[in-house]
Amino acid sequence: MGLLGAAIGAGLAVIGAGLGIGKLAAAALEGSSRQPEAAGNLRTTMIIAAALIEGVAFFAIIVCMLFLFIQSPNA
Amino acid sequence: MSEENLHVEKAESTENPSQKINQLLEGLGDHYEFNYSTFHFDILPYIFYDEGNFHFFSNKKALEESGQYTFSHHKPVRTSDHHSPDLDLSITNLVAFQFIAAILIIAAFLNIAKKYKKNATKAPSGFQNLMESLVVFVKDEVIRPNLDEKTTKKLLPYFLTLFFFILTLNLIGMVPGGHAATGSLGLPLALALIAFFVINIVAIKQSGIKHWLEHLLGGAPVGLAPLMIPLEIMGMLVKPFALTVRLFANMVAGHVVLYILIGLIFLFGIYFSPVLVGFSIFIYFLEILVSFLQAYIFTMLTVIFVSLAIGESHEEEHSH
Repeated sequence: MGLLGAAIGAGLAVIGAGLGIGKLAAAALEGSSRQPEAAGNLRTTMIIAAALIEGVAFFAIIVCMLFLFIQSPNA
Repeated sequence: MSEENLHVEKAESTENPSQKINQLLEGLGDHYEFNYSTFHFDILPYIFYDEGNFHFFSNKKALEESGQYTFSHHKPVRTSDHHSPDLDLSITNLVAFQFIAAILIIAAFLNIAKKYKKNATKAPSGFQNLMESLVVFVKDEVIRPNLDEKTTKKLLPYFLTLFFFILTLNLIGMVPGGHAATGSLGLPLALALIAFFVINIVAIKQSGIKHWLEHLLGGAPVGLAPLMIPLEIMGMLVKPFALTVRLFANMVAGHVVLYILIGLIFLFGIYFSPVLVGFSIFIYFLEILVSFLQAYIFTMLTVIFVSLAIGESHEEEHSH
């Protein structure tokens, strides 16, 4: 049961991170197409924000990994 | 990447999955002997502080010969009561790799400094050019836009050390046979704690300790202190925690994905190996990018936290 919980949790975490970073990349692209001079600034901000969102997803992954090591009594 | 872990995994395929994963992750963790891919060198000393005495053994053979300690489950325990020692300060495999990284960085930068002193008027070339461009990148793109001149001068060595230390450790983990010291929980935690102290000590030195304590109130009236102070303290502590987990999880995730992709060859048979090896090469290049990116993100976030800690005290001075 722990394995099932870990797998589902990891999948949900990846959905969350993918949606978040996808929206972020879309906004950054739109911003740089409206104003090409700001492309460098936007790229830096995008990378920082992507790393922060990924950090949150990794919290969830660490919790899922903890589930892998908790074995039920009769396993 | 250590092939011996994959051999062990194949041989004991009757065990349940979580034990196989345990073995894989053990390869990524810390060992008491110096590891280079499948070679173990028994050269690292064991240092314990146990029951009020320091014990020093030069390698594993000396430890077992002395009779005071034995091994159980790959960990040294006292022979008398099978307790692990109180404080284990041994030089383990990852500590040895950190020393290697430190020696590499010191050698590289002393070399560049000497070359710079010798021809200060000529344009740099070769290795000096590469290092100088990285240093100037960190100084002008990461530190200067966020901090004022005085703090930049004071903290520039710390930030440069942080960036290059994390970068070198990550890249050593990428070399075939190397182990990434940032892939165990201890090193990112230590770096984040140091960053925590730097942030708070710089803030205190800038505007005094009374101001810093007033910060814990967060601008609310004093009556709300029992509510605000725990919240502000948690906000202060979550920043180093996030730095730790981000660096650690990024590095571990990359290596685990590589192990699993190669391990899938055992599951799917030899005819799938071109696809899987091609995928692994792609993930390998992604990991090199992630090494640079994580060093950059760690440094940039520490700079931003320092600038937040200083900037708030400045704003309050001007606004009152």
